[in-house]
Amino acid sequence: MADLSVWWDDYFWGAMTVLKVFGVSVIMTVIFGLIGASAKLSKSRIAHKIASAYTIAFRGTPELLVLLIFYFGSAITLTSITHIFSPETQFVDIPPFWAGSFAIALIVGSYATETFRGAFLGVDPGVVEASQALGISNVHTFFYVRIPQMWRLALPSFGNHMLSLMKDTALISIIGLEEILFVAEMATAVTYKPFLMYMIVALIYLSITTVITLVVMGLEKIANRHLEGAP
Amino acid sequence: MTFEFLLILESIPKMLAGLGITIQLLFLSSFFGLCLGIILLLMRISGRWYLSFPAFMYIYFFRGTPILVQIFVIYHGFPQFEFIRESIFWPILREPFGCATLSLSLNSAAYVSEILRGGYLGVEKGLHEAGMALGLSKYHRFFFVTTPIAVRLALPAYSNDFISMIKATALASTITLMDMTGVARTIVSKTFAPYEIFIAAAIIYLIITWFFQRGFGLFEKRISRYTIR
Amino acid sequence: MNDNNQEPIIILQDVCKFFGDFQALRNINLQVKKGQRIVVCGPSGSGKSTMIRCINRLEEHDSGKIIVSGRELTSTVKDIDAVRREVGMVFQNFNLFPHLTAIKNLMLALKLVRKMNKSQAQETAMRFLERVRIPEQADKYPIQLSGGQQQRVAIARALCMNPEVMLFDEPTSALDPEMISEVLDVMIDLVNDGLTMICVTHEMGFARSVADSIVFMDWGEIVEMKSPDEFFENPESERTKLFLSQILSH
Repeated sequence: MADLSVWWDDYFWGAMTVLKVFGVSVIMTVIFGLIGASAKLSKSRIAHKIASAYTIAFRGTPELLVLLIFYFGSAITLTSITHIFSPETQFVDIPPFWAGSFAIALIVGSYATETFRGAFLGVDPGVVEASQALGISNVHTFFYVRIPQMWRLALPSFGNHMLSLMKDTALISIIGLEEILFVAEMATAVTYKPFLMYMIVALIYLSITTVITLVVMGLEKIANRHLEGAP
Repeated sequence: MTFEFLLILESIPKMLAGLGITIQLLFLSSFFGLCLGIILLLMRISGRWYLSFPAFMYIYFFRGTPILVQIFVIYHGFPQFEFIRESIFWPILREPFGCATLSLSLNSAAYVSEILRGGYLGVEKGLHEAGMALGLSKYHRFFFVTTPIAVRLALPAYSNDFISMIKATALASTITLMDMTGVARTIVSKTFAPYEIFIAAAIIYLIITWFFQRGFGLFEKRISRYTIR
Repeated sequence: MNDNNQEPIIILQDVCKFFGDFQALRNINLQVKKGQRIVVCGPSGSGKSTMIRCINRLEEHDSGKIIVSGRELTSTVKDIDAVRREVGMVFQNFNLFPHLTAIKNLMLALKLVRKMNKSQAQETAMRFLERVRIPEQADKYPIQLSGGQQQRVAIARALCMNPEVMLFDEPTSALDPEMISEVLDVMIDLVNDGLTMICVTHEMGFARSVADSIVFMDWGEIVEMKSPDEFFENPESERTKLFLSQILSH
């Protein structure tokens, strides 16, 4: 156990990195999901087709592959462009933190698109009409009437998406992000106890996913608050 | 920066070799995962705490941690223990393919057992009672009444999980296995053509996914034929 | 503005509406002056709801003109918004915002459309909740209210926006019988205060005592438009007579 105490610090900061990636990705996922769902529900055929292509492409491709395409592809592109201006640059990339967060947000966003789409369809159309009849603009209706009702319907599935997102953050270590898997690798080289080191990683993830699950359960209670107490 | 189609054509044979590994991994892991998943399910619904609690903890662990971490624990972690290195399983556990199959199977078992449990919970209580009223024994009811219906209910979720498994196989490339993703990564590291190669690989995965989705769709239709009026 | 009841607030001119091949409205011509109380009745599918829903653009009319407070209703967003500000609507299914309390239901549009700040909106909202006689339910969610209470909140919600005209689309049809009168009483109150109203309803007793004009619709057309006494005593058309005999037999 003496081995462990030396590594506590590193594991802690690695976990902080993981949480930061998660936080950033969640925000992006929600945005992508809302845009995708709006596109699928809109009357524009082009928007519909693009959104469909998005969901099919990202739901059928391995997450690791998406990450690799995104990171290495953008690196090659950026390097070539920079090469034109300053020929001595070797390698330019989007930092793994951002490339990774963006990529996994795109992936989970494609699932969120379907979830949000279903949830929007579940909103009572009569209530939307009432909002329109009152003269409330479409934009205001979207944020003040549609979203408050749809997130209650989306929450259970969205909770699962959040768990997937959290577990996908582990993949970003493959493109070089220094988080807890990286720490485990380093620690293994010194302690020769890979099982222990990787199990710690597993347990850290397990704790975080447990917290997320509890938070989602709490949110579900809040979201359904206005439905309690029917006479 | 041109898009080199020639490169894709040259790489296809190698990628198809990788595809072979991917498919083997897929079927082996699904099969073992299903077997273990059924056992876990029976433990979960047995009603005996010394069976259902361990099953619950198992499922909780494997669903709450990333597959990548599970793969690393087995591939990098198991060799730490002498008893593993000296066991009869060592030849399997030494190899990336063995480790990948093992971890994907263990992972799959956790998800599959929950999916099957969902199916079982979805069978209406009335049918259990009808079976009891007819005098069918508990085991007869389970096999001939509950299970067929549970399977039908669980099928959509299972097919989704199978598709996820296809994607999970790509993670085996991180422990040097030359599945399709592993081959792709090797080619890219030599040719610096990430777009062409990775996108080609992605397209192959999409085709496989589409193929299995259709297959499952047809199977679902066949199984559900008695529910259409 | 001229208050002499000269210019009609609402003009429908040769309005037609199709749902696919089915013609829901055939050449509707109607004028509503300020202070009028019009009741629209007729068999199901006669186009009554469609007609009033065209007035605030919840349905789009295919031909003809609709003019509200001097402004023509076109597909332009500005025109639609302007019309919706002058026209209030009460729905058969109440359509209260389920995630907001009663008072917040009223305050939402006051803040977003009338641009009031929170305290102004709250004050205005409470005033109207008092007007419909349920100020004590202000902080309840719709699900905690009875049907009659919900509908009264819905009326207050439409009313607090100060529209020129109120449209009622079968306001009591979804209510249990014992709650119908509480809603009708509120409507009578409002009308006695000078509210301009178009009401689609099956409540003939209400029509007879409150309306100054009854419009009978059948198969998408306005068949007859008369004062209540004339309508009930001397209907002209056979169709009107048939309808009245069916409705008044219980």
